[in-house]
Amino acid sequence: MKKVLGRIYILIIMLFLYLPIFALIVLSFNESKSMSVWGGFSLRWYQELFRSRIMMGAIANTFSIAILAALIATIVGTMAVLGMAAMKPRAQNVLLGLNNIPMLNADIVTGIALMLFFLMVRAPRGYMTILFSHATFCIPYVILSVRPRVNKNTDRLFEAALDLGASERYAFRKIVLPELRPGIMSGFLLSFTMSVDDFIITYFTRGAGINTISTLIYSEVKVGIRPSLFALSTIIFVVALVVLLTVNYRRDKAEKIRSAKPAL
Amino acid sequence: MIARKSYSIPFIIWIFAGTIIPLASIAYYGFTNREGNFTFDNIMAMFRGDHLQALGLSLLLAFISTLICLMLAFPMAMVLRESKYGKQGFLIFVIILPMWMNFLLRTMAWQVLLERQGVINALITAVGLPRQEMMNTPGAIVLGMVYDFLPFMILPIYNTVSKIDNHLIEAAYDLGATKSKVYTKVILPLSVPGIVSGITMVFIPALTTFVISNMLGGGKINLIGNIIEQEFTVNSNWYLGSGLSLVMMVFIILSMLMLQKFDKTGGANLI
Amino acid sequence: MGELIRLEGIVKSFEDTVVLNGIDLSVDENEFVTLLGPSGCGKTTTLRIIAGFEKPDEGRVYFEGKDITDMPANQRPVNTVFQNYALFPHMTVGENIAFSLRVKNRPESEIKKKVANALKLVNLKGFENRRIDRLSGGQQQRIAMARAIVNEPRVLLLDEPLGALDLKLRQEMEYELVRLKKELGITFIYITHDQEEALTMSDKVVVMNEGYIQQEGTPQQIYDEPVNAFVADFIGDSNILSGQMVDEKVVRIDGIDYPCIDGREEGFPPRRRVDVVIRPEDIDIVPYGEGLWNGTIISKLFIGVHYEMLVQSEHGKVEWLLQNYDQHDVGEKIGMYVDPENIQIMHKPKSEAEHAIELDL
Repeated sequence: MKKVLGRIYILIIMLFLYLPIFALIVLSFNESKSMSVWGGFSLRWYQELFRSRIMMGAIANTFSIAILAALIATIVGTMAVLGMAAMKPRAQNVLLGLNNIPMLNADIVTGIALMLFFLMVRAPRGYMTILFSHATFCIPYVILSVRPRVNKNTDRLFEAALDLGASERYAFRKIVLPELRPGIMSGFLLSFTMSVDDFIITYFTRGAGINTISTLIYSEVKVGIRPSLFALSTIIFVVALVVLLTVNYRRDKAEKIRSAKPAL
Repeated sequence: MIARKSYSIPFIIWIFAGTIIPLASIAYYGFTNREGNFTFDNIMAMFRGDHLQALGLSLLLAFISTLICLMLAFPMAMVLRESKYGKQGFLIFVIILPMWMNFLLRTMAWQVLLERQGVINALITAVGLPRQEMMNTPGAIVLGMVYDFLPFMILPIYNTVSKIDNHLIEAAYDLGATKSKVYTKVILPLSVPGIVSGITMVFIPALTTFVISNMLGGGKINLIGNIIEQEFTVNSNWYLGSGLSLVMMVFIILSMLMLQKFDKTGGANLI
Repeated sequence: MGELIRLEGIVKSFEDTVVLNGIDLSVDENEFVTLLGPSGCGKTTTLRIIAGFEKPDEGRVYFEGKDITDMPANQRPVNTVFQNYALFPHMTVGENIAFSLRVKNRPESEIKKKVANALKLVNLKGFENRRIDRLSGGQQQRIAMARAIVNEPRVLLLDEPLGALDLKLRQEMEYELVRLKKELGITFIYITHDQEEALTMSDKVVVMNEGYIQQEGTPQQIYDEPVNAFVADFIGDSNILSGQMVDEKVVRIDGIDYPCIDGREEGFPPRRRVDVVIRPEDIDIVPYGEGLWNGTIISKLFIGVHYEMLVQSEHGKVEWLLQNYDQHDVGEKIGMYVDPENIQIMHKPKSEAEHAIELDL
């Protein structure tokens, strides 16, 4: 009985989560522009999407900003973690407290704060201001994912390398960095997805002439929903599905390999 | 020691330039008028009728959405906890996947469903029922909030309940607890940290949103987020916008402090 | 055998806690020295100072008479087997062992040979390509050994290397370590809190507590002639009784005046308060009234080879711990006798306060 109830409950939640997305996917293939009339199967909205120079530009902006912001955040964040490891606990806690602010703050506050800052320093708003802002909200996530990797154990491995004759630089490159790599990678990926997903902060820190996918969707929706946005939704959904499936599959496989041969 | 303190310098500069100075400038504009003099007017403006109404509505809708999310998410987390390992991975995957869709598109999906000429009305009229007006209502906004933020409630709660040691639950049964007692006295108190972070992750974006209300409220329903956004983008009155933001931040901080206190007491006063 | 390592007046504190209070230590070539003490006694810090991971606040470290206090860890001719092995998790067994050789840019053919040789020494032939996380604790321990010795260090530092292993494996590894040391012919400095490990393997045991060296000597000396109650208590079971010298070579223990072999010459003049150690196995059970002390057995435990009994003395309020092969019943009244040779008279333990008094004198 309990199991059946559980299954029904899962089903209801799944329907709630996926029916709207499913509706978008179906409508993206609708020849008719109407949301309530099925006019036959068509790919014309996909064509329209790919022909739109504005959309292609927005996609390029979104991904180039995401990659650069994630890269900057990863470097600055990882260095910050390493530097903090050399500090007294008090100083570390102060920095971590400051680090928490952008994460706990509402996006709208972060957005307008950065906007005011750019106005104050007379920075022309555009690509660079978006990039700066994205790096700002990504750094905390990098720090959170790298920091757990810098611990007593890392210290001991570093010492072990020195003990075996390695120079500090060599030990860092060959031992510490590989130890940090999973944290650095997940910090980078987290930053990347946060940046791609962001709308609110971009909205306040962009200039007039520049769009990311999010801001373009917002301005189009305000004017009236065009079916090419359904096509975009479908594409994003499929890409997300494929990426997540591969990541999960690879992790499962790695886990299987690890558990296949139990420790002797 | 692996590194030198100086490695943190870029980060410290970034924190100042990207977080501390910008936040300070909100405070500066919030207490300044157009002539550059100190004033409380921008703060007090929150008590103007339309602003107060927007704030009240924001708090109400955010509260309702958070409550609905919590009520939907907790059973889901429990079902997840009790399902088999392989299935569990699949279910979590299914919950995470929509989060990867741009949230504007997710919100737009509800617009598509709820519109006067939308999908639901097409289905309703097809079976001969009268057309419903669902868009541009507070209900539509709540629906959008719940839809957008539900995964942010499920995942943290699942994270904590999945870590509850089964032996604790067995011990409670062993000591004669009934099923409901096990839930109220063991599972619920132990999942408080997850519930608290779930509430934070839903309540604050719901309280401050202007996107959902704009898209599903048709610009007719103003939340405090919409008011602030308009002051910055339409009216270019940064002074007023900053003042209102400061008041809104007070509400955010208050709600976080309340939640934190709740977390520390371990939810002793939850029941 | 010449002196290889000498520590002179090492003082070290972290924040406000003094960890080492002036350590003087000499380690000979080819010696197996064990630093023994409870956690927090300063033994690990001493080792880290020898390895070069910590700089002493005061004092010098000498290697073959040369001052190496300021020499960085990666240039010292010592290698360490770390407490939790500190094996590099992203490298194979072979890569771990080859690490120090690759650092020195040795030719690959030589590396291969040396790695294989090191693995053979620790009885894990052919493990080169295994992954670290697939090894058992005992195997990891051996790999850590192999990695530390492959570069032929003059001194091997071992920081509680057997601490994470279960009892049976630990005993096995004790033999292995002794064998390995013999084959390598190098100096071992070994850290442990386990007195049994210290006694079975070492040439010299250094007992430490609260940042002081309490006693150093051969295992036999440490066991038979502990210099104070701390050492006696830490090494094996013992009765540590408060006593007082009442006359030249006469000590009062548990209300009985007892002729002993220590006197003014050994630094125990009459009226001096002392600690007296009597090992439980040195107490003979004799018929009631025929021994030095009389008492009643109040509890009895069978622990394998012998019985362990607690006896309530009739003279003072002392409870004696006895170990005996014969069975006696709880409640039985017995006499107890101890050979004068088996009574060890000691100074009260060296603590920080007392150390200060000594300096004042």
